[in-house]
Amino acid sequence: MTDKKLGPYQTIKSEGTYKIGLDKPTIDFKAIGKRGVRRYDGYDKASGKAVYTRDVNLPGMLFAKALASPYPRAKIVRLDTAKAEAYPGVRGILRFDDPEIWGMELTGSVAGTTRMAPESAGWAMLPEKRILSDEAVFEGQMVGAAVCADTEQIASDALKLMDIQWEQKPFVLDQEEALTPEAPKLIPGSDSNQIIDGRELNQHGDVQKGFQEADTIIEFSARRDAHLWAGAELPCVIAKWSGDKLEMWVHEQQPYLNKSILAEQLSIPMNKIHTYSLYQGCSFGERCNPSNWHQNGINVMAVLLARKTQRPVKLMLNRAETFYGESGDVMTSYFKIGAKKDGTITAVEMKNIFANYMCTTGVEHLVDNTRIKNLRCEGITAHVNKPPAWWCRCEQLPNVFCQTMIFDHVADALGLDPTEVALINDGCEGHDKSFLVEFKRKNGFPERDSLVECVETGRKAIKWEENWHPPGTKKLPNGRMHGIAFTWSHDWDDTRGTGSAAVMIQNDGSVSIIAQHSDVGVNPWTAYMQIVADELGVRYEDIEINPFDLNVGFALMSPDGSCNMVSNGFVVKKAARKARTMLLDLASEKFNLPAEELDVKDSVIFEKAHPENRMPIRDVVRVALPMLNAVAIWTEPPVFDWAWHTHGLWGMALETGRPRMCRQVNFLEIEVDTDTGEIFITNVVNVNDVGKAISPESVEGQMYGGTYMGLGRALTEEMVWDPKTGVLLNRNLLDYKYATMLDYPEPECLYLETGLGHGPYGATGIGENTATMIPGLLGPAVYNAIGVRVDDFPITPDKVLKALGKI
Amino acid sequence: MKVPTNETSKSVCPYCSGAFDSFEELKLHVLVEHQGEPLPKPPGTVTLTVNDRNHELQVEPETTLYQVIHDRLGLTGVKMFCDRGVCGSCAVIMDGRPILSCMTLASECDGAGIETAEGVADAGHPLVESYIKHHAMQCGYCTPGFITTAKALLDRNPDPTVEDVREALGGNLCRCGTYPQHPKAVLEAAQILKEERSK
Repeated sequence: MTDKKLGPYQTIKSEGTYKIGLDKPTIDFKAIGKRGVRRYDGYDKASGKAVYTRDVNLPGMLFAKALASPYPRAKIVRLDTAKAEAYPGVRGILRFDDPEIWGMELTGSVAGTTRMAPESAGWAMLPEKRILSDEAVFEGQMVGAAVCADTEQIASDALKLMDIQWEQKPFVLDQEEALTPEAPKLIPGSDSNQIIDGRELNQHGDVQKGFQEADTIIEFSARRDAHLWAGAELPCVIAKWSGDKLEMWVHEQQPYLNKSILAEQLSIPMNKIHTYSLYQGCSFGERCNPSNWHQNGINVMAVLLARKTQRPVKLMLNRAETFYGESGDVMTSYFKIGAKKDGTITAVEMKNIFANYMCTTGVEHLVDNTRIKNLRCEGITAHVNKPPAWWCRCEQLPNVFCQTMIFDHVADALGLDPTEVALINDGCEGHDKSFLVEFKRKNGFPERDSLVECVETGRKAIKWEENWHPPGTKKLPNGRMHGIAFTWSHDWDDTRGTGSAAVMIQNDGSVSIIAQHSDVGVNPWTAYMQIVADELGVRYEDIEINPFDLNVGFALMSPDGSCNMVSNGFVVKKAARKARTMLLDLASEKFNLPAEELDVKDSVIFEKAHPENRMPIRDVVRVALPMLNAVAIWTEPPVFDWAWHTHGLWGMALETGRPRMCRQVNFLEIEVDTDTGEIFITNVVNVNDVGKAISPESVEGQMYGGTYMGLGRALTEEMVWDPKTGVLLNRNLLDYKYATMLDYPEPECLYLETGLGHGPYGATGIGENTATMIPGLLGPAVYNAIGVRVDDFPITPDKVLKALGKI
Repeated sequence: MKVPTNETSKSVCPYCSGAFDSFEELKLHVLVEHQGEPLPKPPGTVTLTVNDRNHELQVEPETTLYQVIHDRLGLTGVKMFCDRGVCGSCAVIMDGRPILSCMTLASECDGAGIETAEGVADAGHPLVESYIKHHAMQCGYCTPGFITTAKALLDRNPDPTVEDVREALGGNLCRCGTYPQHPKAVLEAAQILKEERSK
């Protein structure tokens, strides 16, 4: 190999690709890691002045609504829209048989080059994939026609005037029932409801050998029912045409993908799609992948109706209509585990049967986190007549659910302390901890034992020694049974993100971060500004970001996969470093000194050897002031540079040799009333090793916030279908219950900073971890309280009473 | 001037008390007989004082207060979240009480004084800064509803306990789970107000 100088493209690519190893800071932290940094979005949000997509009203705007199927499986045999068309105020109707939408399918990721199995990409998991089809495969599916009118009310009224003849078909709701020979077949031309997606078997080692090595074999089953995102801002989109230019306002985590999909589906050049992505009222995956069935569907419908009417069209879902999806962890699980007396797990065999979509097979965290050599996991997915399933904060739900179930059952069967069973099995990809120690040493990471530190911290906080007891043995003075439980996993180091951003210094020395980014509430922009402040050497107050406009050309990694900070932190760090180099290059002219002899801190440039020789950035960049009388833009080059960073692509984290090293543990204390079956949460302790906390308050926010979501999922969040009609019965926030302020006590959230993450300064993800870990932990806690297993989630009072034999 | 014809006359002249069969006839009467006086208001007119500004609007019987504040007045501090009176994100303060604007008919609010989160912020209420400081927000969609509900609490109870705050805000949903931060932020604002009063 000869050394070849890289060209400009290869240089950016090389600089931007994550290279394994600790990202050691080269600067002093001032803003980074500091408490009390004023959050960037704070005033907008607290004052009610933040504008979300749903708030946008354009002149002449029309409102669109689509028909919803009243049946779980039905075909439209006749649709007469004449009355609706004639209704005053109706401006346009899009029918399923209109040529511009007929046969148009929901596509996967980008232009057919998805990294996922084609069957699992987008909503290909549905047997009926057409947007606004004439066939429904779940109750509530948008089918038949969409109408736009002067007001929402007129649009709703017009839908009622449509004369529809439906042909109802047999349906099936339960995934195990769907796999029986007598179940109605949902996939056209197939004699099975099983979805083949190439991930059915995940196997490591030899489980039979592992079972032979075991002292004991443990077998059990568990079940999880559907829950969903239920984000605050209802999904909506606005489309507006002017000639061949399309403007869109989207409530989406990944607006760039919306562009690429629309370009593919409607042959609109991507540069003609001008996109704004404003404040986002939650998301949690709901507004994540534009291939999400309805999301892609509503975008296409709005664009077509806007083109038809030549008016801006806003398509908003109401709360009932948002119950169109479910979490990708609707599963029935069967486990067989072999373990030695000391708690060493020798083999795990499991089978998970999912409804409509399998996020992950369920075994991945055992691969990532343990030294268990023999693993065999079958992940079977069946079509049912329920809404499509998708990632729901987050796709790791099946994995951590299985890990929690397995470890608690093993500890209990062997009569061991579950925290010790965790420690004895900790490892990575079948290797014991010496593998991790070697990896840390080789790649410059600190040689700390994250799990040991997390366990010690958590045990102390929950007073494990005095509180833990054998199942069903501790009755409290108030008559309730006390339960306590523990689980663990790694802190999310998915870090499979890619983004780009520019940093520019304005004429007055103030700094702009230029990049679109869809925030879903994790306070990312403040953290990016903290990094730019320290890396560029400017004051936090001197930085501004305008993340709402996708048309600037730079876009940060969307907030999924816990990739916000890990990917984007690197992006803005690199852009700031490059801008800093450029700034000092410019300053060298002013100081008449080589750039290497200069430094910049607190927005002031100074000579390193003689710090009193100093000049504010403002005075240095002023040379580039525009001549206002002559031209309106720079007369000399502005200080501006950009960077790109990739941390890898989906499904590639392990393949790139990046073991997860940061661990987390969660503890739960409950009381159970054995007369009523009610469960009372009395204490939650979360310990996360986040590697490095760049914004401490934001880290804690994800920990306590995720706890409330997790407890809701554990106890009350459940979508309930009527088995006779296939109709979803609780499509509103009165009957689909999630946590209020009064339901649970404030969790104790502790974090460690071991520097063991692959992100900037050794950080790792935190956004998805707690909400995903907490739900499954209720099972072990209930068992510890009443001595009977209720591994059927959510754990409602009726299930507790049934387990106790009282009903 | 037209003489009243029967008991069911609906439109009465505000200047001479003459009654008319229809509003159109009354309007014509005022234009002719009372030139220089403003035209009378048609049925369905409501007057609202929102954040200390007066508004006079025509509303349909089914128009909600949310629709008036958000869609007509352009105030984004009321948010559509649950769409049926469950979540408190559309809460405004009406004559001292926090009410759900999505469940309130605008026609019932004639003459009311209303405060939204924008009004609370513009008045420099310490709640806004204490909410920012304590990160009592994540996605922020529900935040304005918490702000108005908390402001109404502090107006009627300047010295609340943690339990008072939890009870007052127990009807506000936050999907991001910011719940532990609200009592901290509200109590700090109460303390600031107390110090301001004692000055």
